[in-house]
Amino acid sequence: MGLVGLLPAPVLGRRSFLALAAGLLAAPVAAPGAEARRYQVGFANLTEDPGTRLEGLGFTGADVRASFALAARALPVDMVFYDNDRNRAKTLADAEDAIARKLDLYIQYCDDAGANVEIAKRMKTAGIPVLAITYPVPGSPLYGPDNTLAGRMAGEVLANFAGAHWPGARAVAVMIGDLGNAADHVPERVAGIAAALKERLPAAAQTRLDSNGNPAMAESLLRRFAAGESDSKLLVAALDDTTALLAKAAVEAAGRSVDTAIVSQGCDRSVHGGANDKKEIDPNNRGSIVIGSVAYLLDRYGYEVLPLALNMLRGDPLPPRVATRHVLVTAANVFTIYPPIDMN
Amino acid sequence: MKLKLTLAVSALAGALAAAPGAWAQSDCTKLVPASPFGKDDQTGATNRVTPSVTKAAAAEIQTGKITNMTNPLVDGVPLFGTRFTKTVLTAVTLAPGASLGENNLTYMEDTWLSQSHVGTHIDGLGHIGRGDCYYNQIAMGKFINQNYMTKLGLEHLKSFATRGVIIDLVRVYQQANKLKTNPACRKSCLDKGTVITPEDLQAGLKLYNVTLREGDAVFLNTGWGDIFAQYPAQNALYNSGEPGIGEAAAKWLIDQKVIAVGADTWAVEVIPGESPTKAFSVHQMLLTDNGIHIIENVRTDLIADEAAASKRATFFLNMSVPKAVGLTGNFVGIEAIQ
Repeated sequence: MGLVGLLPAPVLGRRSFLALAAGLLAAPVAAPGAEARRYQVGFANLTEDPGTRLEGLGFTGADVRASFALAARALPVDMVFYDNDRNRAKTLADAEDAIARKLDLYIQYCDDAGANVEIAKRMKTAGIPVLAITYPVPGSPLYGPDNTLAGRMAGEVLANFAGAHWPGARAVAVMIGDLGNAADHVPERVAGIAAALKERLPAAAQTRLDSNGNPAMAESLLRRFAAGESDSKLLVAALDDTTALLAKAAVEAAGRSVDTAIVSQGCDRSVHGGANDKKEIDPNNRGSIVIGSVAYLLDRYGYEVLPLALNMLRGDPLPPRVATRHVLVTAANVFTIYPPIDMN
Repeated sequence: MKLKLTLAVSALAGALAAAPGAWAQSDCTKLVPASPFGKDDQTGATNRVTPSVTKAAAAEIQTGKITNMTNPLVDGVPLFGTRFTKTVLTAVTLAPGASLGENNLTYMEDTWLSQSHVGTHIDGLGHIGRGDCYYNQIAMGKFINQNYMTKLGLEHLKSFATRGVIIDLVRVYQQANKLKTNPACRKSCLDKGTVITPEDLQAGLKLYNVTLREGDAVFLNTGWGDIFAQYPAQNALYNSGEPGIGEAAAKWLIDQKVIAVGADTWAVEVIPGESPTKAFSVHQMLLTDNGIHIIENVRTDLIADEAAASKRATFFLNMSVPKAVGLTGNFVGIEAIQ
């Protein structure tokens, strides 16, 4: 009920009463005991083009959007969805609509730095706080992957595996994928992988095979490379899951499966699924040479970001940067991290 | 091959190292509550169906009208993965000259090959656990063999001769102007992922001035069953998710001391679930922790329509469960008698 309900209008005087009422209604934090306030939160997606993969991984805009819709069910949040469509005019129009609707908070997922600068200005003028995903918006907290850390995780797993299973053997580390894709921070992942391998397995030579954004090229690149490294164990760090599966096919074709261990980045649905899907990372496939994939959890962004948004709306301090909680998904933990639903 | 074996051994060792005790018997007293019906209880919530409960439920039979609540069990209904239900008809005596005796007797019978959790079916108490701990703190690892369970089988259930209550969530959502339907539904339905709350349940009961009482069996009409009815065309959609109760609604139903919760969905609980890292948590709450049965793929639309027409959302529940020894679940036929 709050103070307005406790003080009768005649006591305050009509103007004072209305001013107090207006002030309380505008207050971002509900009074103790008051009914929880619901917030209108906008989410402007990077793109909802079903053919576009995000962040150099296997996720789509639909995955990200669905995570927000699902996460909002349990929160005092009403979502307003936008599609930035990787189009500056559309991105700015989305922001204008959010301003016109007087949304409480705007979550911006946009890889156009110029547009993000403009969004920052307009939202600040409108008094709407912004929370950025992956790509910075000036003056706003940022949520997104820790690409270097995720890369390091893969490198450490490969090095540890080689140390445990191939001690003393000559090993070659291969980083393979769209290595030059700076827009999606792939070079940071590569640097993390390389650094971890250098620290943990300094004797292993490192090779980089760049598929230039064409995953199919990865297979032929690795097949040729594997044929020329017949005396070495192959530690393959794939920069995305599609590439990991193609790398597996390549070493199988080259007859080198027994000498190969692969760790991937992303953990999208191409490598894991339900109890009936029989995907590569599956409890019943523990012998796979694809040891695991470092999860980027784009399909959980909503569950991570909306609580942060609520913290902002409630006035709680938020660090300038919150990183995805990456985890290595393997056959041993995949159904813990991604519980299947296909049984009844 | 050698590497694959190495990897497999390594993964197994890793799993053991990562989950110490995972292969050891758990202390189930710390994971699952004790049954309120005693330390040897394997029956669960049907203990609540006492003679007085059944007698009171019988008062629901006023017109004698029977409404079927069972979906057909036939090839093509929605199933997951490699699950199947298949019948093979034996009709040899229908062949010319194969009839028996001067009286020309012929006969037929069936071989029914099927998994038990298909079609309109009940989840028994051995269906769901928390680790190796099941209802009433039973460490099930000691009580299973290749063919069946030696505890918590369906043979331990008591009667379901009790009052049934239909809660029409479609009408609740329509009246609250919050119905988000799926275009695949030919009639109105709640869309998948819709979390049914305690407030929704109470609103549904209020529609017909019903107050739940101990021993009731509650059925939820979400409209999603219309997608089941379009088998096999919409099987993938049906299985892709569903509206259903969330944990709060499950808790509320548990507090009402119901004996079963059924719905026109394949899991009764909302899918995708409220937490992306939990698997079927409502199943654990109802079955594992409280011995309350879940009844899935129920045909609820007819009784919901009947309730709307008659303004009566209660009925005598006519449902029996085979004494299938050691089974975790089984097909059921359900009728609502009013």
